[in-house]
Amino acid sequence: MLKIENLHATVDGKEILKGISLAIAPGEIHAIMGPNGSGKSTLSYVLAGRPGYEVTAGSATFDGKDLLALEPHERAAAGIFLGFQYPVEIPGVSNVQFLRTALNAQRRARGQLDLSAGDFLRLSREQADKLGLSMDMMKRHVNVGFSGGEKKRNEMVQMGIIDPRLAILDETDSGLDIDALRVVGDGINRIMRKPDKAVLLITHYQRLLDIVRPDFVHVLAGGRIVRSGGPELAHELEREGYAEIAA
Amino acid sequence: MLLDLPSARNEGWRWSNLSALPDIAARAPVGTVPAELPWLDGYGDGPRLLFVDGKLVAEQSNPGAIDIGPVEAEPRDHALARLVGPEGWRLRMGRDHAPQGLVQIIHVSTGGADHLPAEVVLDVDAQAEILETYIGNGWTNRLSSFRLAKGARLMLSRRLLGDGGFVSLTDRAEVGEGASFVSATLAAGGADTRLDGDIRLTGKAAYAEAAAALLARGSQRHDANLAIRHWQPNGSSRQVWRSVADDMATCSVAARVDVARDAQKTDGEQSLKGIMLSRTATINAKPELEIFADDVKCAHGATVGELDKAALFYLESRGVPPEEARGLLTRAFVADALERIGDEEVRKAFYADVESWFTTSSLVPSEVEGRP
Ligand SMILES: Nc1ncnc2c1ncn2[C@@H]1O[C@H](COP(=O)(O)OP(=O)(O)OP(=O)(O)O)[C@@H](O)[C@H]1O
Ligand SMILES: [Mg+2]
Repeated sequence: MLKIENLHATVDGKEILKGISLAIAPGEIHAIMGPNGSGKSTLSYVLAGRPGYEVTAGSATFDGKDLLALEPHERAAAGIFLGFQYPVEIPGVSNVQFLRTALNAQRRARGQLDLSAGDFLRLSREQADKLGLSMDMMKRHVNVGFSGGEKKRNEMVQMGIIDPRLAILDETDSGLDIDALRVVGDGINRIMRKPDKAVLLITHYQRLLDIVRPDFVHVLAGGRIVRSGGPELAHELEREGYAEIAA
Repeated sequence: MLLDLPSARNEGWRWSNLSALPDIAARAPVGTVPAELPWLDGYGDGPRLLFVDGKLVAEQSNPGAIDIGPVEAEPRDHALARLVGPEGWRLRMGRDHAPQGLVQIIHVSTGGADHLPAEVVLDVDAQAEILETYIGNGWTNRLSSFRLAKGARLMLSRRLLGDGGFVSLTDRAEVGEGASFVSATLAAGGADTRLDGDIRLTGKAAYAEAAAALLARGSQRHDANLAIRHWQPNGSSRQVWRSVADDMATCSVAARVDVARDAQKTDGEQSLKGIMLSRTATINAKPELEIFADDVKCAHGATVGELDKAALFYLESRGVPPEEARGLLTRAFVADALERIGDEEVRKAFYADVESWFTTSSLVPSEVEGRP
């Protein structure tokens, strides 16, 4: 589904990703762990096409097509969703308006008709309910005045509504209380644990991995994947820290 | 007519470019009344005035409480306002009175220049709601005088939708004790504009509000100059200016709050914001505060920038194409000013005008150089 080969990328002329290779097949959940500043968010931004992140070598394909040749909105329409480590506030635009615009833009890009206002509201109420966000919050401006945890839950509501095929979730668990972590983890399983879908889960904590059980765990350090393994690798990291493993 | 126009060397006109006016004024008006006129429905047979090239079209008007006649409006040496003649439209409301519904006035310019004064006088506790719409492509020049007695309330909405030419509006307002003067302006056409206002809060606890959204593209220029002057205690005022300039366009706003020595407990707020949609656009913002009283609360802020790049990427990452994302953020930006409009029908009409400004964009981004 997603195939990354020898990916190098720079930000402001500084090389952050130094040759990443990773293949994700449908039905798989991959976790990426690694020290602060190792390039995890950079990888997620490069995959989503954020301006300013320049790929200097290597390739990334999605369903066999050159991902890096697509504009960010085309990547979204192709089925990629980025859950932001720091969700952005957009004053003046309500969550409902934001999501309806986004969903219908994606549908149009795929040659589908717009969802009617009624159907959209039903869908967003259902998804917001499942993540414990009220429709009142959905009518508020995007992430404005939301607590850290509410922003992360909002990312998951968006994911539920957009229903992507590949979710790249950048520390969706950070800033969540224990109950919210459970709600968000269950949300990820409910929306993404499907044979034709896949997840790239960036996290620092085993707690999320106890709920969303990864098939593979990778350690990113210094812009490279320094180790890959099964779920047991996460436990090992939890016990021993990165210093041992990344060395 | 020989025009004696101020030059940009004059401080109050430094962001203006009036050089096109003599040419526009020299063009002969065509005089035809457009088949479609942007009246708002839903106000029954409320007062309506249609002016074509400054002349009332009686058969398409329903003046109600408004009459045409000599107008008391003092141009105070204003270079454009002094061009208006003695006769114009007048709305005079007696104590506790209000016109039947929304007063709608459409000004059509079919070429050339027309100059017209107006006078609105609201007696104690009188009220009026006025919507003026400007269309066409000549030079429409107006001087309007507003006098609000104690407790009077005026809601004045204006939309400038002409496809070209020039619109100059000069307002003189006196707002009495506890009275409220609220205005909303939208420039969303192709005309260049010059907006001047001098609003004096002459009674205690008076209120003045000016909200404006100025949209410009191509080589268009909007140029606004507003002063709200607090003369008496306990007054408050709000100014919300939102400018959007694309291509090579220029939006300039000089907005001022004066607080006289006697005007203690004044509460004045000013917010001037501008967004440049292309690197070749220009936004000028000049907030000014002059305070002679010691116990006042005045806040002002001015920001000029581009659309928030992080927000743009967030939208795009959710599948919104770049042009649509820019439109969404720009609309949200402009909404700061327009959401203040209390009348729902008027507010909707203004939003629809903004919408058509976006959809009639003649230039697609790839054709414009210097876009960020
Ligand atoms: N605009 C920039 N200019 C220069 N360096 C940058 C820029 N943006 C990010 N970096 C650097 O890139 C490196 C990787 O950052 P990144 O955000 O990808 O780390 P991360 O692994 O996600 O860390 P964390 O666990 O703290 O979220 C960091 O050293 C960071 O300082
Ligand atoms: Mg990060």
